[in-house]
Amino acid sequence: MEPKTESTVREDVPERPRGYVVGSAPDSIEREIGHDEFDPVGTLVLILGYFAILVVMWVFMYFVEFLGRGLTVVG
Amino acid sequence: MATFVDRYPEEASVVKATLVVSFLSLGIGALFGLVQALHRTGYLRFLDSVDYYTILTGHGVLLALVFTIFFLMGLFTWAVVQSLERPLPDIRLSWAWVGLTTTGATFAAVAILAGLIPSIDMSADVLYTFYAPLMAHPLFYVGLAMFIVGTWLAGADWFLAYREWRAENPDERIPLQTFMVLTTMLMWYLATLGVAVSTVFFLIPWSFGWVETVNPLLTRTLFWFFGHPVVYFWLMPAYLMWYTVLPKLAGGRLFSDPLARVVFVLFLLLSTPVGIHHQYLDPGIAEGFKFIAMTNTMFLLLPSLLTAFTVVASMEHGARQRGGEGYVSWLGSLPWRDPAFTGMALAGVMFAAGGFSGMINAGMNINYLIHNTLWVPGHFHLTVGTAVALTMMAGSYWLVPQLTGKRLYSRPIGLLQVVVWFVGMVLMSNAMHRGGLAGIPRRTAEPQYQNFDFSMALGTVGEIRAGIAIGGTLLFVSVVLFLVNILLSAFEEPIENPVDDSLPEPLSGASGSPVVLDNLRLWTAIAVVLVILAYTLPLAGIVGDAGLLGDVPGVPVWVSANAEATLDLLTEVIA
Repeated sequence: MEPKTESTVREDVPERPRGYVVGSAPDSIEREIGHDEFDPVGTLVLILGYFAILVVMWVFMYFVEFLGRGLTVVG
Repeated sequence: MATFVDRYPEEASVVKATLVVSFLSLGIGALFGLVQALHRTGYLRFLDSVDYYTILTGHGVLLALVFTIFFLMGLFTWAVVQSLERPLPDIRLSWAWVGLTTTGATFAAVAILAGLIPSIDMSADVLYTFYAPLMAHPLFYVGLAMFIVGTWLAGADWFLAYREWRAENPDERIPLQTFMVLTTMLMWYLATLGVAVSTVFFLIPWSFGWVETVNPLLTRTLFWFFGHPVVYFWLMPAYLMWYTVLPKLAGGRLFSDPLARVVFVLFLLLSTPVGIHHQYLDPGIAEGFKFIAMTNTMFLLLPSLLTAFTVVASMEHGARQRGGEGYVSWLGSLPWRDPAFTGMALAGVMFAAGGFSGMINAGMNINYLIHNTLWVPGHFHLTVGTAVALTMMAGSYWLVPQLTGKRLYSRPIGLLQVVVWFVGMVLMSNAMHRGGLAGIPRRTAEPQYQNFDFSMALGTVGEIRAGIAIGGTLLFVSVVLFLVNILLSAFEEPIENPVDDSLPEPLSGASGSPVVLDNLRLWTAIAVVLVILAYTLPLAGIVGDAGLLGDVPGVPVWVSANAEATLDLLTEVIA
């Protein structure tokens, strides 16, 4: 359900629903994490996953495009 | 709590004006995209195939140049004003560049669209890559020149604002968003020298008939001198939002301000000396220069990978602050119901996929496999067509309320819109990439050859065509949803807090990073030296071979009006 106006939400309801106004995510912070406590291990996992996909695709390219056909450029 | 329009009403009007032009171009360009997708795949053909090239040119120019750059000009104006916390130095200058760029873009658009009306002897079917020997009507080139000069004035406006700020804050670090704007504009000044020289000194006199011939390879090389860095000119506003807005939308803080500065400096240094990688198959440029361009291009992977790390880490910070746990399950704690966040995050995912096909394009040898095939449009629909365009649309859901003081009409429609774009682009660009591997050509209304079958490694050509047609249709539907949502937002009543527009401080701020990062003169000087090293010898070789004006006559493209003359000319050229 959309509110009648955003101002009624912001002024009359102290606890706004999560993500109600565009860009309102910070209101639902559960714990402050500073620079020293933050360990971006999830980022590492995603980037390693991306690299793994790249390797698989390069291998795919190699088999399909190079071994499946003759050389494109000779000389 | 006042938002941007309350604090800077005049600047908000300037930004709104640029966004109106941007979104209008988006609507027309998207319609042309739909027509192309349906025509090329044979699902719906109501145009003559000759007119396909008018549609193709309109799609490319209106989306890749007008939509993106007008959005950039609005976003950069907002970014400079709000990060320096001061109004622009002279609002008349701002309206002057808005007027000049809008008039120039209108001239170019009129020259293109006139190609659809046979009774008007005017056309500009030169595709987005407007170099010789294809010749457009002079109005097209004059419009482009005005547009480029307008962007230069816009940059001057932002530099003047920075100068005023610097006079009052001599020892401060440049605010991050302004730093991003200034480095991007320095790159743009450098890169547009190529296209400005090509347009003003060669294409305009040639199209007016003041000179009979131009050197096609020279105009082509000057175009790509600009034609690749312009890619980063589109991308940098998306990066600006990924670095400074997306962490906030995710509920976190930018992981590292200094890393963001390093990335923008690297783009300033490396964007321009790479354009020859678009000319691997051009005769007349020695292999060695192409190899240098390839090496420079591979270096450009570095800022993109740094961005992947920094932006994802910033999102992870937001997710963990919102209760996210685990190696991957923290992704579920991100605000996926927020269209601004989801749109930008999906745009980032597609950019990662575009990174793969970009590496193939950049590789000098493997490029031969996909050169001039459907793979290439598949690639840039992931980069400019999604990473940039989807970020701009998603960012608008957060930006526009700040400019109008009105809430977004519908958050669910916004969410649907960004998801539809993502699905449409997955279908279309997947089909284009695979079609390219099979050798299906790009830039043609008639990709079917007689007595020839494309051999597919996976799937069928029919499935590829369906993917392009369905994907293209979904993309058009997405644009319509976006424009309707923004338009209806304009009719909302102004409210006190239309959007949460605060931007949190980075986890690691600028104060601990080397001051040399802010030395714009130094980075510009290095960038100029790199360009001189990459381009002096190739350009000297090209001019030495065929002279400044070459010996190839033009091929005017208003074919429907001058069909016979054009045919004669073509026969002459080929003979």
